Amino acid sequence: MPHNKVFIVVPVFNEARVIKDTLKEIQNEGYANIIVVDDGSTDQTYQMANEASDILVLRHRLNRGKGAATKTGIEAAKLLNADIIVTMDGDGQHDPKDIQKLIEPILKKHCDVILGTRLANPKGMPWHKIIANHIGNFFTWYLFGLWVTDSQSGFRAYSHHAAELINTKYDRYEYDSEVIREIYIYKLKFKEIPIEVRYTEYSMNKMHKQNIWNGLITLYKMFWKLIN
Amino acid sequence: MNFHLYQIAIILVSAIMIFQGVRNYVRGKGSQTIYKLLIRISIWGGMIVVAFFPDTLSLLAKTLGIIDNMNAVIITGFLLVFLMIFKLLSAIERLEQGLSEVTRKEALKDIDR
Repeated sequence: MPHNKVFIVVPVFNEARVIKDTLKEIQNEGYANIIVVDDGSTDQTYQMANEASDILVLRHRLNRGKGAATKTGIEAAKLLNADIIVTMDGDGQHDPKDIQKLIEPILKKHCDVILGTRLANPKGMPWHKIIANHIGNFFTWYLFGLWVTDSQSGFRAYSHHAAELINTKYDRYEYDSEVIREIYIYKLKFKEIPIEVRYTEYSMNKMHKQNIWNGLITLYKMFWKLIN
Repeated sequence: MNFHLYQIAIILVSAIMIFQGVRNYVRGKGSQTIYKLLIRISIWGGMIVVAFFPDTLSLLAKTLGIIDNMNAVIITGFLLVFLMIFKLLSAIERLEQGLSEVTRKEALKDIDR
């Protein structure tokens, strides 16, 4: 399977501990085009990513959020003539082995967007995370009109056509839901594919930072931007 | 029914605003959603109702209990404060988006095209 036109976008913020291993794993799966977007990290993430070979590392001088960093990576991939763009988290919770499953329907021209869903097999997923995801799914459907089983998943694949159409403005975690809205508006063909999520001690600690309060802020921003 | 010029102007402007909203929604343009459209129709539709039947305002004022001048002043003050907060938040939002755009351009400047 040709991977020379598949670009993997990895937005990162303070992932110095794991970024090198994450990138190595992606490369081991045969993907050479990797774009890391360091979203203004205050640790050694940028240096660590640069130490990995054959990786394009971009840097936001200011922290602008996961959505903004992902968009920067997608814009870079478009400039580099990517046919398929895959976005995945930089903390190692996504398994690069799943990339093939995500890009397959796009390679076969069956779909424009593939959404990785964690809730098809939520084994090991913390209960509060499952509930938060269901709430996120409900509000994404309520505000943006499209029902999906994991509106907050960052593991997704886009065809070039979809990447050209999708134009997001949300900078932070609302971004994931905004993409769903764009799929709905542009009537893009999409499919949800179960993905595996590896809940390590490291990723669990990071998850605690995405607490209920942050979820409420995300919800407020979704409402605010809808009326603004 | 005799119409004043301001009533005709309000009806025309409101009708244009509703028409634009419906057109954007039908075309799926921008970020127009059914909720935004309903909000738009209720606000501008309300203006049309008031333009047609100005007495509805007096009825509304009585219903809401705004029956003396002081109440009206306080409520107007609240509305102005809300409007200012809304404008300020909108300005901050625009600045945030501008900041993200500048940051993105700077990050992408070295990519070979």
